This record gives sequence, C-alpha cells and structure tokens, in this order.
Amino acid sequence: MKNEIILNNEIKELEIDDISDLEIKLDNFSSLDLKILNLLPEKNVSFHASVGEGCKLNIIFADFSKGNVSINSLVDINGENSFCSWSLATLSSNNDKKVYDVSFIHHIGHSESIMDNYGVARDESNLVFKGINYIKKGSKGSKTNQIAKIIVFDKSSSGVASPILKIDENDVNAAHSAVVGQLNENHMFYLMSRGLSKEKAKELITLGYLQPISKHFSPDAQERIEKAIMEAM
Amino acid sequence: MAILEIKNLHVSVKDKEILKGVDLVADSSETIALLGPNGNGKSTLLQTIMGNPNYVVTQGQIIFDGKDITSLEVDERSKLGLFLGMQYPSEVPGVNNSDFLKASLNAHQNRRVPLAIFYSVMNKAYARTEIPFEMANRNLNEGFSGGEKKKNEILQMLVLNPKIAMLDEIDSGLDVDAIQTVSKVIKEEQEKGKGFLIVSHYARLYDLINVDRAIVLVNGKIATEGDRSLIEKIDKEGYEWLKKELGVEIEKERQVVLGTCATKEALKAK
Repeated sequence: MKNEIILNNEIKELEIDDISDLEIKLDNFSSLDLKILNLLPEKNVSFHASVGEGCKLNIIFADFSKGNVSINSLVDINGENSFCSWSLATLSSNNDKKVYDVSFIHHIGHSESIMDNYGVARDESNLVFKGINYIKKGSKGSKTNQIAKIIVFDKSSSGVASPILKIDENDVNAAHSAVVGQLNENHMFYLMSRGLSKEKAKELITLGYLQPISKHFSPDAQERIEKAIMEAM
Repeated sequence: MAILEIKNLHVSVKDKEILKGVDLVADSSETIALLGPNGNGKSTLLQTIMGNPNYVVTQGQIIFDGKDITSLEVDERSKLGLFLGMQYPSEVPGVNNSDFLKASLNAHQNRRVPLAIFYSVMNKAYARTEIPFEMANRNLNEGFSGGEKKKNEILQMLVLNPKIAMLDEIDSGLDVDAIQTVSKVIKEEQEKGKGFLIVSHYARLYDLINVDRAIVLVNGKIATEGDRSLIEKIDKEGYEWLKKELGVEIEKERQVVLGTCATKEALKAK
C-alpha cells in the first residue's frame, strides 16, 4: 500500500517516523519540510518524490536505528525554479550494514538540489553512501551540490562514500565532495588533555558531529535522538 | 608542592630525534621561561610532558608529583594537575564550549559537579579572562579569532586549576589589551601558588609577569640557564652570542624559517 503526500499550492511541515513506500508529489509552488526520524531496525524501504514548478522540498533524515538499513530515495525534479535538499545524519554500530542510495534527477532547468550525508561507523559496522545527482541535457541553469562525510571510528568499521554527479548539460553549477576518515587525532588529544577519557572524548565528538541535525526536530524527537545516540555508544 | 622532573629525555617524532637529553626540574611554586630559536624543541618538550601520542619518548623519564608519568594516558596527566595551553588550539566542530568544560570539570573531580558550582566556576573564569559569557554556548574554538582561542585556553586553565600550567606561545595572536588581561590572570595565579612553564618569543609577556628562571633550549638540549636578565639579553641580541660565549652552535638544519617548529620540519622531511 502506498503512503502518499500530495500537495498543490500548499505549505506543510511534517515529522514522521515511517517512510515505507512513501510517495511525495509537490505541485504548483508547494513547499514541504519533511523530517524523518528512523529508530526502527531492519528497514528496507524506498521512497520517491516528484517536484513541480516553484516547489520546495526539504528532507531531513535522522537515522539512529539499530540493525541493517537500506534506504532508496529518488527525487525527480520536474518543474523550474524548484529547490530540493536532503540532509542525513546516521550512526552505524555493531555488525550493522547501512546503505543509503539517494538520487536527484533534474529533468528541467533552473532547479537546485543539495545533498548532505553525514555518518559515523563504529564497531564492525559498514556504512555506504551512494547515489547520483543527475542533470539531464537541456536542464540549463541547474545547480547541484553533494557532500558525503563518514568518520570511521574503529579499526574494524568501514565506510564508503561514493556520490556521483552525472551532468549532460554544460550550463550548470555542480560540486561534490566525499570524505571518509578516522577520528581527528588532534581533536582527541585536545579533549583528553583537559581530562576527558578516550571514551568521553569520542562521545563528545560523535555528538558534535551527528547532533546538529536534531535542531530541525520537535523537542520530543530531539530527546529521542540524543537518547538513541547515547545508547548506540 | 608538586614537582615536575624530567630526566635525560629523548623524544622522536616520526623517527626524527628532536629532544636529545633534556634534564629539568620545575616545581609548582615557580615560573620558568622557556626560550630558544624556532625549531629547537620547546613545543616538543611541552607536548611530550602532556603526553601527545605523536611524540615518542625513546629514552628518559618524566616524573610528576612523585609518579612516573612517562607512559601515562593524556587524561590521567591532566587529572594529576598538568595543563597545556596549546599554541594552535583545535576547532572541534559541534562540541559546545560549556558542555566540554562541564565534562572536563566532572572528569577532574570524578563526580557530577552540581550545576550551581559549575556555573559559579564558569562565571568567574569568563569574568577574569574578559570573555563574554555568551561565548560559552559557541562550539569549541569554532570560528574564534586567534586571540579568542588563546584566551579560551586561559579560561580552561582557570576552570581546571592545574598545579603546573604549560603555556605555548599564549601571547601570539593577542592584542595589547588581551595581553594585559592574560598576564594579569597569570600573575594572580602565580601569587596563589601555581607553577608555570612558559614559551614565548617576546619579552613583553615575561615583563608583565614574575619569572624565576629562564632556560634556553638549543638543538634539543638545554644550552644555558639564568635569571630574568637572560630574557633581556636574548631580546636585545638574539641567539648568536650562544656560540661565542658558550660554544653552542645552532645546527644548520635547525635554522628554520620563523614560524615553523621542529615537529613540522620533521614531518616535512618524511
């Protein structure tokens, strides 16, 4: 069964925790702020959005679930002067394998997409960011930007950040960056030189890295996010 | 009174030896000015005492307050009463200044410090360093100016109240007013009986505080020691006289450009 959000010349802000088979359709200068808090394990979901003229879609995705996760998100940008953003913060631990496949397709010009993926991989977990920002031929004046950052915490955890830009039009503005790295040892030394144990220092750095996403959520959800991060550590 | 004793300390960074046998005794009732040309091991000495894992002790010992701390974890050294005000304090994204201070104070007191006490400690430290209290809610050093970062180091020192504080070029990046503020705080702490090991290239800071001894580090060893007049001499004449008067020649490879340090040089050579 499809879960649908259809907006026509409307402005909406939603906070949800189930995104199974979600279908979003924005038309005619609509705007949607969609805040997703995923705390349930073993998720294997895909969702799709199509964005029409003058519409704005902001997806904030906080995923602090335990267990394996496979998320497939595709946004089709069909209208001019539209704006889409995706921000993800996720934490994988134990033996989790979490895969986020997030794509934007610009079918038309003068549209903008921004993708920010932030993750921390702990223990023996594996975190994968992939997806394509695709600007089709003829989509003049489009803008796209991708950022993928993974901190690999432990020796046996791993991360892959492979966002792809596919550009078939010359008149565009596109940028991307991907970083997979270990905990900054200067930061660790700095915090520990003030008496913080290795564990406490790691905890503060993780919170500092992942928690900024919680400012988009309601106070109740903020509490659940903090609790989930603390539990995972 | 706590004593810091350094015995025949040899330290390497990435297999390049930077300290080549340093002996030094410092106690928590005195202030030592640590001098020497760039790239001769001053920062290395301080970082090693604090326990930075990039600095490998190949020989010798560091003893603090009767305890051999040569291979002790960094946080344990801090809790014993050592403090290092960094030359380049890190910007730690997302870590809130006051959360960080609270966690540090809790770690030092080995308990959850009641909020009222924590705020009173914070308030005093912010007032004394003349940092606006609103900055407690900023992220740790993120977007701070050079001077704000250095003052934030002094603030952390006041919150943690160490027995011996090591300050690495704490005056670089400070404007005239800030130097006055920082030196006033140092002086007050000296009077309360805190020990200092201070690295600076400028006589100005030393002029504003008490200095009991001055030590010159050249080629990874202590070349000479004296009183305050040694600072004046170096301020006027530089380091060239070391060769004439003491026969200490600054090794060529160590004559590096101003603003570099031995560690950076070692890393570059790799």
